[in-house]
Amino acid sequence: MSYLVQIRNLRKYFPVLGGVLRRSVANVKAVDGVSIDVLKGECFGLVGESGCGKTTLGKTILRLYKPSMGHIFFGVPGDVVNEINALENSNPKSRRLRRLREQYDISTYRGRDLLLLRRKMQIVYQDPTTSLDPRMLVKDIIAEPLVAQGIAKGEEAKKMVLEILNRVGLSDQAMYRFPHEFSGGQRQRVAIARALVSRPDFVILDEPTSAVDVSVRAQLLNLFTDLQKEYGLTYMFISHDLSIVECISHRVAIMYLGKIVEYSLTEEIFKKPLHPYSQALIASVPVPDPTQRKERPPLTGEVPSPVNPPAGCRFHPRCPLAMNICKQKEPQLVDAGNQHYVACFAVNPEKN
Amino acid sequence: MSLATVVEVKDLKVNFYTYAGVVEALDGVNVSLREGEILGLVGETGSGKSVTSLSVMMLVPPPGRIEGGAIYVQNDSGREDVLLMNDASLRSMRGKDIAMIFQEPRAYLNPVYTVEDQISEVILVHRKPEFLKNALEVLKKKRRGGTVEASNYRRMLRNPRSLGVRFIQKFSSKKTLKNEVRKEVTKVLKSVEIPDPERVCRMYPHELSGGMAQRVLIAMALACNPKVLIADEPTTNLDVTVQAQILTLVRLLKRDFKSSILYITHDLGVVAQLCDRVAVMYAGNVVETADVFEIFGSPFHPYTRALLESIPNPEKGFKSIPGIVPGLINPISGCRFRDRCSYAMEICQKVKPPFLEVKKDHFAACYLYGGSQ
Amino acid sequence: MNVRSRFEEFKVSMRPRVKEWKFMFLRIRKNTLALAGLVIILCFAAIGMLAPILAPVPPDSLDAFKIPKDTEINVLTPNPTPPTLRHIFGTTDQQYDLYYACIWGTLTAFRTGLTVVGISLIVGLLIGTLAAYYGGMLDEVLMRFTDIIIAFPGLILAMALVIAFPAKIPINMSMLFVVIFALVSFLLLALGFSKKLLLVIQGLLMLSLLSIFYYPLILDLNLTRLDKVLIAITLVGWPGYTRVIRGEVLRVKNEDYIEASKASGSTDFGTIFKHIWPNTVYPILIVATLDIGSIVLSAAALSFLGIGAEPDYADWGQIIQRSRAWMSRPEQLIGNMHTFLIPGLFITSFVMGWNLLGDALRDVLDPTLRRR
Repeated sequence: MSYLVQIRNLRKYFPVLGGVLRRSVANVKAVDGVSIDVLKGECFGLVGESGCGKTTLGKTILRLYKPSMGHIFFGVPGDVVNEINALENSNPKSRRLRRLREQYDISTYRGRDLLLLRRKMQIVYQDPTTSLDPRMLVKDIIAEPLVAQGIAKGEEAKKMVLEILNRVGLSDQAMYRFPHEFSGGQRQRVAIARALVSRPDFVILDEPTSAVDVSVRAQLLNLFTDLQKEYGLTYMFISHDLSIVECISHRVAIMYLGKIVEYSLTEEIFKKPLHPYSQALIASVPVPDPTQRKERPPLTGEVPSPVNPPAGCRFHPRCPLAMNICKQKEPQLVDAGNQHYVACFAVNPEKN
Repeated sequence: MSLATVVEVKDLKVNFYTYAGVVEALDGVNVSLREGEILGLVGETGSGKSVTSLSVMMLVPPPGRIEGGAIYVQNDSGREDVLLMNDASLRSMRGKDIAMIFQEPRAYLNPVYTVEDQISEVILVHRKPEFLKNALEVLKKKRRGGTVEASNYRRMLRNPRSLGVRFIQKFSSKKTLKNEVRKEVTKVLKSVEIPDPERVCRMYPHELSGGMAQRVLIAMALACNPKVLIADEPTTNLDVTVQAQILTLVRLLKRDFKSSILYITHDLGVVAQLCDRVAVMYAGNVVETADVFEIFGSPFHPYTRALLESIPNPEKGFKSIPGIVPGLINPISGCRFRDRCSYAMEICQKVKPPFLEVKKDHFAACYLYGGSQ
Repeated sequence: MNVRSRFEEFKVSMRPRVKEWKFMFLRIRKNTLALAGLVIILCFAAIGMLAPILAPVPPDSLDAFKIPKDTEINVLTPNPTPPTLRHIFGTTDQQYDLYYACIWGTLTAFRTGLTVVGISLIVGLLIGTLAAYYGGMLDEVLMRFTDIIIAFPGLILAMALVIAFPAKIPINMSMLFVVIFALVSFLLLALGFSKKLLLVIQGLLMLSLLSIFYYPLILDLNLTRLDKVLIAITLVGWPGYTRVIRGEVLRVKNEDYIEASKASGSTDFGTIFKHIWPNTVYPILIVATLDIGSIVLSAAALSFLGIGAEPDYADWGQIIQRSRAWMSRPEQLIGNMHTFLIPGLFITSFVMGWNLLGDALRDVLDPTLRRR
C-alpha cells in the first residue's frame, strides 16, 4: 500500500485583472489549501458542485496549471516519503528537505522532467466533442502522445494505436476516421485511448460520463473498471454525480469552494456523512424511488464567489449548524475515526 | 378519464430531411398531458422527446417537418389542432397558453438585454391591453388623465396596429406603462423565489449563476400565466443542490398556479421525485406510459425495465443495455427495440407493436402484453 | 517497409479527407455562381500559362513584359487604331499592341495578387499566431506595432516609394541579416524556449556583424516600378490578416483539445502546427481570395494614376492609363473605346472571378452548414 500522489497544501489562484494597466486586483482562489494522498491502484473520487475547484485541482496535479503554492509528490518511494514527513515536522527549513523537494516535488518541474512526467499522468476530459481535434484523424489523435513524448512514431506508433483501440472496444477501421463520424460514447473511447496509449500510472477522469448518454455511461464505467484492473491504473474520478462516484470509487473527498471538507472510504461517507455540506449534498440527489419524496430542498442559497470567500469556515452562511467560531476560524481536517476526516467545528468540538 | 387533457399528441410523425437521408425522428407518438399534473417524458438522446415538445409549439427547426398526426391543445376557444392553426393564433398561443423552458438557461437569454427588458417583452406581447388600462388608471389617479401620455395610451388601446400608433409607440415616453410592467416583473420574480428581485431586474444574463438564470427563464415562462409549461431538461446542467431547489419550485408551481407541466428528462431520480405520470420514449416512439408508482413498481416494457436496472447501484455495479440506439435513417422494421431486447420474438421483427392499455391507465407498446393479432 | 505498402497506407489514410473534399466539391457544383467564379479564374490561369503561345514574344525584345510597338504601319500617327486582323484588339497610342498587353497583363495580375497576398498572409500568420498564443506583453507589443502599420496610407506610401526609390538599390545584406537575427533572438529570448536555437541564431548574428566590417555582402536589386508598388502594398497589407488570425487563434486557443495536446507533451510549436493552424486557417483563406481581386484593382488604380508600372509595361491599368489622352471629345471617345473597354473587361472579370470564388469558399468551408 503505497501512495502514488501526495498533495500538500496546494493552492491555485487565478488573478483577476482590472484597471487600465490590467493589474491583478483580486484572486480567484480556485484551490485553497488542499492536502490529500492517493493510494496506488485505487479510484479516488472527488465530488463537489460547480465552482468548488475540483477540475482545477485535477489539472493542477497534472501540471496543466502551475500551482501558486504547495507541493505535489508523485511516485515517491515509501522511505523518502517518511523522511519528508519527518523533516516537515521537525526541521522545516533544512537544506535536505529543500533538496528532496526539488527532486520529487513535481510542482517545480520544467522542460525535460515535465515531459517525462506527462508519460505517467494523463487526463480524460468531460466533453469528447471538444477534447478531440475535429480536423485530425483518430489515428493521429491517439498517436500524438507517442510522437510528442518520443516513445514511438510511424509504423510502431500505429501498432500501439491499434492495440489500444481494440482494447477500448473500437474497430480497426476507426483509425482512419474523423471524430465527428462517431457517436458521443465512441468519441469518449477515443479520448480514453489517447490517455492510455502511453501507459500512464495515474489518470484523471474529469467528469468523463457527464456528456454521454445514460445507456452508454454504464458501458464506459465498466470499461474504466476493467482497464484499471488490467493496467494497474490509479484514477482520480472527478464528478458531481454522486451515484456514479458511490459505485466506482474506493475513497471519496468532498470539496467546497476550494477546500476539502470531508474525505473517507466510500461506504463511510455515503452511509454516515458528517459534514453538513456533505449531508445536504447527499440528500439532494434525487432518489429513483417515488415512495421517498422530499418536500424542502436540503440546501438553500447559492455558492459564493471564490474571489471573496466567506471568512472562517466557507460554508457558514448556508450551514444549519453554524456557530460563532465558524465565522472566525477555519476548521482543519481532523480524524473522526475509521479513516474518516472532517473539517467542521460542529462535528469535532473537542478536537478543535 | 375524469381529468381533462390539456395537450394531446396523437400519432405524431416528424421527419428530418438531411443531406444524409430522411431521419424519421418521430413515428406515431401518443402523449397526453392532463390538467394539473406533471408528466415526465423520459428517454435518451435520439428518442425524440425534445422534438415532441418542440412540435407542440410548432417550433420544429428545418429541415424538420411534421408529416402527420394531430396535436390538440385546450385553449380559450376549445380544443384546437395546433398543426392546423394559422400564424397569428400560434403566436398568441406561444407564451400565453403554452410556455417552454430550456436546458441551458443562459443560451436562451439575450446577453445584451437586462432581465427586466426580457421579461417585460414577454408581458407586453401578450398582455399589453391590460397594462395599458392599468397605466391609464394610475394616470387618472394622479390627475394626469388629459396628458399626451394618457392620450397615447388610449390610442394604443383603440387601434394598436395603425401606422401612426406604431410610430408613437417607438418615440413617446411610456414611463407609467414601464413602471406598471416593472411591478409585474418584480412580482413574477418573487414568485420563483429569487432573492432581491429589484436588483436582479437590472442584471444582465452573464452576471447570473446557472440556478438564477434558470429561475429567470421560468419567470419569463410564467409571466403570462400559461396553463401548460413544457420544461426541456431544465436541471440537467445544474448542480445537484440547485436542482433540488428548482424541483421544489416546480412542485410549487403545480400547487399554486395549477399549471400542467410536461417535464422532459433522462434522469430517473428526478422523475421519481417530481412527476405524477411518466411516458417513456425510445427511438421515436412512446413505449410505455403509466403512473409513476406503476412505472417504478411494475414496469412492463423491456426497455423501461432495462432503464431501471441500469441505475447505478453500489452493490450491483453498472448494468448497461447491450447494443446502441438504432439509427433513424431507414429505421429497422417492426419494434425498434428488438435488437437489444432480451424477450424479442419473431413478430417483433415484422410489425411495430401497437400502443395498448395493458392495465388501467397503464399503456405499453410490446407484444408481450398482447396486440399480436 | 516497402514502397507499395506505404502507398497503400497513404491511400487509406486519405480516404476520409477525400470524402470531405468530395462533399465540398458537390456543394461548389450546386452553386452556379461559385462555379462561374472557378471557371473564370481557371480561364485566366490558362491564358497566363499559355501566354508565350498566345502572344509570342518578339525576337528582339529584351523583356517579355514590354509591349511591342508596331513600327511598320502608321509610324507617323500616334493615334490608337481600332481592332484589325493584324492587331486583334487594336492598338493604343504610340501603336502599342493591345492584345499582347492584355495577355501578358494576365501574368502580371496573377503575380501582383499572389505575391502580395502570399507574403501578407505569411507575415500576418506568424505575427497573429504568436500574439494570440502567447498573449500578455508580447500580444500588446505586436498588436500596437500592427496598429502603427495600419496608420500608414497605402496608396500614398506606394507613390512615395515609386518616386523616391531608385531603380537600382544596393542592399547591404549583412546589415539586413544583423537586424533580422537580432529581432529573432530577441523573440526567442522573450518566449524563453529552445536555448540551442538561440545559440545558433546568436552565432549567425555575430557572423553577419563581422561581415559588415570585413566583407560586406551587397545585393544589387533591380526593381521595376511595379515591384516597388507591390512592396508598398504588402507593407501596409499584412495587418489585416494579423487581426483576423489573432481572433481565430484566440477562439481556438481555449478549446479542450489544445489543452489535451499540451497534456500529451507537445511543445508550443507542435501544438500550433498540428492543432491551431489547421483549425484557424480557413476563414483567412477566404479573406485572402477576396483580397487578391481587390489588390489587383488597387495596383491597376495606381497604374492608371501614372505611378504604377512603367509606361510600356504589360499591365492592364497601364494600358488604360494610355487611353486617358484620347477620351476628351465625344467622337474621340467612341472611336477609341477599345483602348479602355477591353482591358477594363479583363480587370472586371478577373476581380469578379476571385470574388465569386471567395464567396464560394466561404459557403463551402463554413463548418456549421457542412453537415446538415
